[in-house]
Amino acid sequence: MFFASAEFQTVFAALNTGFVRTLKLFFITLAGAIPLGLVISFGSMSRFPPLRWLTRLVIWAVRGTPLVLQIIALYYVPPLMKLFSWGSGESGRFTAVAVAFVLNYACYFSEIYRGGIQGVPAGQQEAGLVLGMTRRQIFFQVTLLQMIKRIVPPMSNEIITLVKDTSLARVIALQEIIWMGESFLKGNQGYAGLVWPLFFTAVYYLAFSGLTTILLNRLEKKLEFFR
Amino acid sequence: MKKRLLVMLLALAMGLTLAACSGGEDKKPDSSSSAPTASPSAGGESAAPAESAPAGDESDLAYVKDKGTLVVGITNFEPMDYQDANGQWIGFDADMAKAFAASLGVEVEFSEITWDYKVFELEAKNIDCVWNGMTLNDEVMAAMGTSVPYCQNAQVLVVPADKAGDFENLTSLEGLNVAVESGSAGEDAAEALGAATIPVQKQADTLLEVSAGTSDAAVIDLLMAGAMIGEGTSYDNLTYVLNLNTVQGLESENYGVGFRPGSDLVEAFNDFWAASVADGTAKTTAETYGVQESVILD
Amino acid sequence: MALLEVHQIEKHFGATQVLKDVSFELEQGQALAIIGSSGSGKTTLLRCLNFLETPDQGTIKVAGETLFDAEIPAARSEAAIRKKRLHFGLVFQSFNLFPQYTALENVTLAGKLLAKERADYKAGKKQILAEIEAQGRELLAQMGLSDREKHYPHQLSGGQQQRVAIARALALRPDILCFDEPTSALDPELTGEVLRVIRALADQRTTMVIVTHEMAFARDVADQVIFMDGGLIVEQGPARAVIEHPREDRTRQFLSRYAKN
Repeated sequence: MFFASAEFQTVFAALNTGFVRTLKLFFITLAGAIPLGLVISFGSMSRFPPLRWLTRLVIWAVRGTPLVLQIIALYYVPPLMKLFSWGSGESGRFTAVAVAFVLNYACYFSEIYRGGIQGVPAGQQEAGLVLGMTRRQIFFQVTLLQMIKRIVPPMSNEIITLVKDTSLARVIALQEIIWMGESFLKGNQGYAGLVWPLFFTAVYYLAFSGLTTILLNRLEKKLEFFR
Repeated sequence: MKKRLLVMLLALAMGLTLAACSGGEDKKPDSSSSAPTASPSAGGESAAPAESAPAGDESDLAYVKDKGTLVVGITNFEPMDYQDANGQWIGFDADMAKAFAASLGVEVEFSEITWDYKVFELEAKNIDCVWNGMTLNDEVMAAMGTSVPYCQNAQVLVVPADKAGDFENLTSLEGLNVAVESGSAGEDAAEALGAATIPVQKQADTLLEVSAGTSDAAVIDLLMAGAMIGEGTSYDNLTYVLNLNTVQGLESENYGVGFRPGSDLVEAFNDFWAASVADGTAKTTAETYGVQESVILD
Repeated sequence: MALLEVHQIEKHFGATQVLKDVSFELEQGQALAIIGSSGSGKTTLLRCLNFLETPDQGTIKVAGETLFDAEIPAARSEAAIRKKRLHFGLVFQSFNLFPQYTALENVTLAGKLLAKERADYKAGKKQILAEIEAQGRELLAQMGLSDREKHYPHQLSGGQQQRVAIARALALRPDILCFDEPTSALDPELTGEVLRVIRALADQRTTMVIVTHEMAFARDVADQVIFMDGGLIVEQGPARAVIEHPREDRTRQFLSRYAKN
């Protein structure tokens, strides 16, 4: 029985270790980018033109360059310029990758938010104002949920993309699941030249993106109580 | 110098983004355990650390001793650096690196890196040396402070076992699609012999190319070929046929350890290596991993 | 003294002047209808009263208190305006109900948020919220919507939605209730139920400003009528007099177009 073999057990344990890193990166990116994206979207809609232009310039730069390049630049350039160091080893690599992912995804999210906020009819804001609500109350009590309803489908696409994009982290040797899968090609823990672990990683991605899709669909259903 | 220019350009582009984003995102503080500041004994710490050049620190050795850890940049490369069943790094290079760190009185830490970025990793001080069966070619010698050669290697052509006969006595690789590790000595050799090269991320990936039939052949290190193909591996359908160094009429390649340019760790390593050869530990370690034929023991 | 005094309001959108020297007064308990063709400035005037637009010139007073004076820009801060708006309620042409709240929640939301600013909120929270709920139910009952409290806006007809919007505007007990073409977005068979509700409010002596295209309704329900054209008040006076016996040519032309339709 292959699944009981020592080879499978060893590879399985290694892939799990890699997948935990993948998941950690995934959740930290969401936890950071979802609120930061909102801040950036406010910047891009600011009534103060210099802030608005600056924010849009940043969004353009981040969306206009490949994430993989941002990871490399963010990890190597600051220490090479003697600005600061990310720290050595696994934790330094992870911090740099996480910052790159949060920034990159926050910029993508901010554009989705902007579309969502601007898609809520102006009359909603006016109705709130006339009823003596503050802008903060209008945002949280009136606009936010309508915006969320609008952005769930495009956000779902981005989130599924993020599941797969985490694999880019291996460009600076963050040992996520694909890196671990590849390690058995070259030799790892006594096994060398194994091809199947690399392709077996697909099982993890499929399972996780499947689960994510189900949860996001459920959220979409939950928001169907109003139109 | 070209590399320095590239780094500056990258920095400019990223600096713009960083500066612009810094309003919303905390800048990460220096990691206290490995902040790249000069040690007190180095003395030359300037008020603006951004102005000190990579090799400007008085003593790299003092820097490593001060932080108490030698970070060794590696890739997974049997039989030089690889993990045993418990996930511990072993191999000829790994064991010698442990001994070298012990001789300096510091801990050793292995950090897997992306091979293409080894010079960046060194200069950014993410690692203190590259010690991974690294061929001492012109590029490496120009960008790093390199040790004495400690091991000999050659580039070999890996082909499907059932077609091995077609490749014997070739003097040129023209008309062949040859998979190579991007940036490796094997890539240079394959190009010099007129092959159409297919650069991939890792030496191990080149074997996948040949096995899957997407490349006609691959060029990898002799040491690796010995460990990874043939009986008992997933690649028992592959074999190696040509020593490309011989075909080109070149001498064997030498492996060396790479440090930051001008680093006094080079000297420390050379002394350590001479002592290890003299007292026989280098030979014993080489025999453990079956590389005594390749390691330079005189 | 009149409850509402609007004095020499001017408003430009870029180079276009949309309100020119608009002045009028409205007594407590009276209903004022503003009529005129599209683009005459009547909706802009209503939006100025509710601080959704800022006039370039003029003053607005309610019960003698100056709510707006173009000469005093400091009084236009967000916080200063927020309390002043509560003198007015506004019912929109397109209802603008909050889609994620039920009919009752729509009516009570703003009241509950305002209650948080009360000094005694912490101590009497339960009772205060219960009072707001009870008042909301009462208003919905008054609109004939007792059985629709828990419905979301998309489950209601246009006429029902507009009646919820009226209850929502009344919930904060404004001094003056404004309507911006309240039946224009409704199918003809649904306008009646909304007009009946407004008529009932007029019978209860609610002070109202109603921008409308329903001439018969304006004549029967309003006490005063203002006819606007090109940003100017062309004619104003008692409702029946202006609509049945207009003095100005422009008013006559406008009304005759309506009579034909």
